[in-house]
Amino acid sequence: MNLQKVNRREFLKATGMTAGGLVMGVTVPMSLHAEEGETGFHPKVFIQIAENGDTTLYCGRAEMGQGISTALPAAVADELEADWSRVTVLQGDGDKKYGSQATGGSRSINEFFIPMRTAGAAMREMLIKAASQSWGIPESDCYAELHFVHNKKNKKKLSYGELSSVAAKLPVPTKPALKSKDQFRYIGKPLTRHDQDEVVVGKRTYGIDTKIPGLKYAAITHVPVYGGKLKSVDKTGALKMKGVVDVVEVERIKSPFSSLGGVAVVADNTWTAQQALKKLKIEWDLGEHKGYDSKTYLQDLIKNVESPAEKIFSRGDVDKGLEEAATRHSASYTGGHLSHSPMEPMASLAWVQDDSCEIWASTQNPQQIQQVIAIFLGRKEEDIVVHVTAAGGAFGRKGKCDYVHEAAAISKAVGVPVQLTWSREEDMRTGYYHSINAQHLEAGLDKDGNISAWLQRAAFPSIGSTFNPSLDRANERDFTRPIAHPYGIANYKLESGHAPAHTRIGWYRAVYDIFYGFATNVFTDELAQKAGIDTLTFLRNIYDNNKDPVLAKSASRCRGVLDLAAKKGSWGKKMPKNHGLGIAVHYSYNSYLAMLVHVETKGDDIKVHRVDCAVDCGLVLNPDIATAQMEGAVVMGLSLSLREDVTFRDGAVVNSNYHDYPVLRHNEMPEVHVHFVDNDESPTGLGEPGVPTFAPAFINAIYAASGKRYRSIPIKPMSV
Amino acid sequence: MSKKININGKDVSVDVDENMPLLWFLRDELELTGTKYGCGIAACGACAVHLDGAAIRACVTPVSSVIGKKITTIEGLSEDGSHPLQKAWLANNVPQCGYCQAGQIMGAADFLSKNPKPKEEDIDNVMSAHICRCGTYKRIKKAILEAAADMQEA
Repeated sequence: MNLQKVNRREFLKATGMTAGGLVMGVTVPMSLHAEEGETGFHPKVFIQIAENGDTTLYCGRAEMGQGISTALPAAVADELEADWSRVTVLQGDGDKKYGSQATGGSRSINEFFIPMRTAGAAMREMLIKAASQSWGIPESDCYAELHFVHNKKNKKKLSYGELSSVAAKLPVPTKPALKSKDQFRYIGKPLTRHDQDEVVVGKRTYGIDTKIPGLKYAAITHVPVYGGKLKSVDKTGALKMKGVVDVVEVERIKSPFSSLGGVAVVADNTWTAQQALKKLKIEWDLGEHKGYDSKTYLQDLIKNVESPAEKIFSRGDVDKGLEEAATRHSASYTGGHLSHSPMEPMASLAWVQDDSCEIWASTQNPQQIQQVIAIFLGRKEEDIVVHVTAAGGAFGRKGKCDYVHEAAAISKAVGVPVQLTWSREEDMRTGYYHSINAQHLEAGLDKDGNISAWLQRAAFPSIGSTFNPSLDRANERDFTRPIAHPYGIANYKLESGHAPAHTRIGWYRAVYDIFYGFATNVFTDELAQKAGIDTLTFLRNIYDNNKDPVLAKSASRCRGVLDLAAKKGSWGKKMPKNHGLGIAVHYSYNSYLAMLVHVETKGDDIKVHRVDCAVDCGLVLNPDIATAQMEGAVVMGLSLSLREDVTFRDGAVVNSNYHDYPVLRHNEMPEVHVHFVDNDESPTGLGEPGVPTFAPAFINAIYAASGKRYRSIPIKPMSV
Repeated sequence: MSKKININGKDVSVDVDENMPLLWFLRDELELTGTKYGCGIAACGACAVHLDGAAIRACVTPVSSVIGKKITTIEGLSEDGSHPLQKAWLANNVPQCGYCQAGQIMGAADFLSKNPKPKEEDIDNVMSAHICRCGTYKRIKKAILEAAADMQEA
């Protein structure tokens, strides 16, 4: 990392704010954030202590409910010995100055924790030095506490505000001393989030809420099939409506994050625009994917994994291992497309003028907006101003800015600022979906019931296909997780089956780990039954047998969460009839998760009574936010296990709204208990890792309760 | 005489197509954006507001049907965010992204006014009309129970 003072001119340029007091810019290691062609000092975060003591962080990462705008400043404030009530966080606009702002992959905590603490500690030391000079005493006679530097000898104190300008003239310490764990004031404590007060009074402004003078409102309808385009549109009826400004055709541009193509109506308000859309007479050229039928396609995927496919990775000799095994077992598993369906549908405000372009959007990636709009307008990226608003849920969907491109295209066409709001139906039918998937697993067990060979074939349309449509199967990169799987089985082979994409595929909270975690953990439960060994013992044996030194730590942390979940959820206890416990463990995004699920079944009626989540994410920065992330992961996991299923017919999505894409509601919320492993490992992210363990633990619990083995999720798809 | 709706204690003139749902009148015409659009078909509860104290879905309520009536939105639930539910929401750190929470609070406020001593099962049933995609259900239930207890004491 790099830590430097920022001068008045640089700070104004970067934040649009006037510098005063002490301002520090922080970068993160280049190895983690090698921006192409990036040289020199480019701070990702700015920290300012103003002359009145107000302390502000300018942070480029997007807040979408996961609490990042609380967790990172807490790390700074702790080392700085700041008074938490004096610290505010401002969300940075989209700008290369922050480095990559792509928020996803649960990376923010991993990358920023130590740099943030170091910055806080350096500033603390500078403030102490400023005070010691002012008093003419050694630094060792001073200490910092809650926004003041105190004089040990005479109990005098100077505030951070008073000291800030003097401190700004001092050199930045190169190796400031960080606190030890027992000295933490905020890290690991349930701090209040910064952004909650506004929420409960309806004052928090999301992308959909932005208003500026002269604003018009737009609604859009998209080409129903990926790769299709507009053939003709009769605008007459829409243009006749009172309050309609114009009808605008939006075309695809050469970017995977551009509009899918559609027709928009601009009007005095959203409702009029939505009504006028219905008056358009549109003919589409549906293109090459008009025959896509997801149910048939899934059957194809199953066939493709139940016969040899393209080798991705191999260790030892799987064929020989399977042949020599005392017992063999195989099974196939499937999952459908999923829609992110955040509560705030895609929405963005754009104002394109001849000499400027300003965007307001809830987004996980403001710089991508700059890139896409720059391509669209033929302008420079730095001339596209992107204001990042709060996101009303995202889950990966708002990392793709097709809706922002559309807002800009519409604004450019009509010459006024335009707020584009997608209807829920458009949101559901114009997604970047989680991959539909099939996997086939085969394993051999030795006479003691240990796994001696493991073959895993997966077929799913790759996210890479959204960038390179000729990609017709998942590649090595898509198999990153199983390649480094902590089981470390000696004879191990991964194969990728044919799976061309017929829709846009995108990142969905936990991405491929949803189905990798699912198949692996259900299969091991089946193997345990086959071997006549208790599942927990069977899993423990796998980790204990893993002699690969590279995987030793990963295996031991997996074993740790497994044991914690088993203990907290009382694995092995006698269950009443029709009740069962299921367990699963998964390592993803540098964090370790195990879940133990207790279900009761009455025929097809399944009730989840209790979930115990064991989490090893290293040092827990904020246990309350971390717990909330796990509660949310259980809800999403149960929701996608039960009913979530995007169905395509004739190339188009059949589902339309929450009535035919049912997501989990209050009445099915189980009791959730979250337990953290106490260790000194560095902190890792939790936005995604909770999701993959739920489905398999749930499915294994249903088996324990009823003897019924589900191998496809969702288990109760709605017929649409 | 122009047609009026009383919104959060103020009379507001209606000069739009009266078929317009109250949701868009609030959001686009009055710029009261606390009431959220989620589904447009009364399936998610994000747009819940009170009509003479009872929760309705603003997305399917034409402006014509509420003329002369009293509407309360999240912005008018309390003067200063001091409704017991708002306080309980903060005390339990309920929101994650926060988008659905105005609707959740409005729904819960109506429910508590009719059921001052709610059973957990009743909360589950009534609040199932509201979707939270972040999954804050557990905390919502706890906050409602705490607010109910708070209102009993008051």
